[in-house]
Amino acid sequence: MNESTQTLGRSADAGLNLRPAARGAVSSRLEGATIGQTIGTVTVVDPVFSCRDVNVHYGTKHAIKNVSLDVGKKQVLAMIGPSGCGKSTFLRCLNRMNDTIAGARVSGQILLDGQDIQDPERDVVQLRARVGMVFQKPNPFPKSIYDNVAFGPRLHGLARSRADLDELVCTSLQRAGLWDEVKDRLTQSGTGLSGGQQQRLCIARTIAVKPHVLLMDEPCSALDPIATARIEDLIDELKEFFAIAIVTHSMQQAARVSQRTAYFHMGSLVEVGETDRIFTNPRHRLTEDYITGRFG
Amino acid sequence: MLEGHISRSFDGELAGLHIRVLEMGGLALDQVRAAARAYAEWDLHNAQLVMDREHTIISSGARIYDDQLGLIARRNPVASDLRAIIALAKIAAELDRAGAEACKIARTVLHQAGRPGRGTSTDARHLANLATSLLRLSLEALDQLDGELAEQVIDRDQDLDAEYAAGLRRLLSRALEDPAQLEVTVEAAFALKALERIGDHARNAAQQIVRIAEQAILRRKD
Repeated sequence: MNESTQTLGRSADAGLNLRPAARGAVSSRLEGATIGQTIGTVTVVDPVFSCRDVNVHYGTKHAIKNVSLDVGKKQVLAMIGPSGCGKSTFLRCLNRMNDTIAGARVSGQILLDGQDIQDPERDVVQLRARVGMVFQKPNPFPKSIYDNVAFGPRLHGLARSRADLDELVCTSLQRAGLWDEVKDRLTQSGTGLSGGQQQRLCIARTIAVKPHVLLMDEPCSALDPIATARIEDLIDELKEFFAIAIVTHSMQQAARVSQRTAYFHMGSLVEVGETDRIFTNPRHRLTEDYITGRFG
Repeated sequence: MLEGHISRSFDGELAGLHIRVLEMGGLALDQVRAAARAYAEWDLHNAQLVMDREHTIISSGARIYDDQLGLIARRNPVASDLRAIIALAKIAAELDRAGAEACKIARTVLHQAGRPGRGTSTDARHLANLATSLLRLSLEALDQLDGELAEQVIDRDQDLDAEYAAGLRRLLSRALEDPAQLEVTVEAAFALKALERIGDHARNAAQQIVRIAEQAILRRKD
C-alpha cells in the first residue's frame, strides 16, 4: 500500500477509504527486501549434510551464492523459491549431479557425514548410492518391476544370494508403499504402471541401495492429487529411515511434508527455519511475499 | 496489507471480507447506540428496534464466517494473509458479542424490569457515550488499518473500566439509601456491566487490528 488513498477494489457505494495509518507506532516484524545474510538457523543438531559457503557457476552465471545449509537426520528439508532461484542446482550439488554439466563449477564445503563429497578421489557412483535421487518425471528402466528395484543392489553387490535380493526387492517395494499393488506382477514391465506407481517404483529403486539421504526434485509435479497424496504419505514414513531434501513448487506440499523449509531467491538462501514458522511467521520480506503469492 | 497479490481476485476477496466486517461493525454500533438510548430514556420503541435487528447482525456474522471458510479452502492463505483472515474472524466475533450485549440491555427495557432513576440514567448515558466512542474508534482503525488509533482504543478502555467502577459504586450507594429499589438496582447493574463489556469487545477488536496494521506498515515501507 502506498501513501495515497486506497480503495482496494471495494464497491463505490461502500464509501470507505482505506487510508494508511501514520508510520511509526507499530514495530517492524519483517526484515527488509535486501538479500544478504541468511535469516534463520542453517545448522541442525544431527546433520547428514553440512554445506558451507557453496557457490555454483554455470560458465559466467553465478547460480548459487554462498549458501550454507544443513540437512538433518530423520527430517525433511523443503526447498522453495521462484523458478531459476537455484534450489534444484543446490539439490544437485548434494550428489554431484552438477559434475555432468559442462561449464559447471562448484566451490565451498559439502560434507556428507563429515566427509567432503567434493574430494576428487571420491567415488561418485558410491556417493550417488548413498545419496539417492528421485526426479520430476518418473523414469523407470524398460525392465520388469523386479529388475528395476534389483538393479542397484546388483550393481553395488548388496545381495549375496537370490533370496537376499528377493528380500531386498520386497522390503524396498513395501517401504515405497507399492508391494501390495505389484506383488503378483513383478515380472511385468515397470513402464506399464501408472504415473504415481512409476514414481513409487523409482523411490523403491532408490531406497533399495540403502542410501543415507533421499533427494527429490519436484517428485509430484507430474502426478494427480491422489498419487501426490500417496507420495507425500510415503515421504512422511521414509523420513524415519532417511534424511530427505525435497525441491517443490507447491508451497502447500512443502508445508505438509517438511519439518524445515529453506527459501531461495536469485541464487541466495534468504531464509531457513521450521516449516511451521516459515508458513505462519516468515521473517524476511521476500519469503513473505513469495509464500503469500505477491510475486513468483 | 490486503492487496498486492499476483491474483487480483484474491485481493478483491480479501477487500470484500474487510468491507463486510466493517459493515457488521456499523450494525453493531447502531445496536449499541439504540440500546443505550432505550435504557437511558426508557424508550420501548428503540428497545424493540434493537431486538428486531438482532437477526441482521447474526446473519452478517454467519456470512463472514462462510466467506472466511471459502477463502481458506480455496486460497490456502499463509503468513500475513492467514493472520489477517483469522484476525478479521476474531473481530467479527467481538462485534457479534457487542451486538449481543446491546440486546441484553434492550431486553431489560422490554421486560419492564424497573426504570432506573435519574442518577443511574445519567451514569448509563455517560458509559454508553464512552462505549460507543470506543467501538466507533475501533471501526475507524479497522477501516484505515490504523495501528495507532487501535492502540488508543486499547488505552482508553481503561477509562471506561474506571467509569464503570465509579458508576457501580454510586448505584450501590443509592440502593443502600432505598432498599425498596433493589430489583431496579440489580437490572441497572447488569445494564452498566453490558456497556462496560461493549468497551471490552471494542478493545479486543482493536488488539486484532494492531496485528493486521503491522503488516500494513511493513508493506508501505517499500
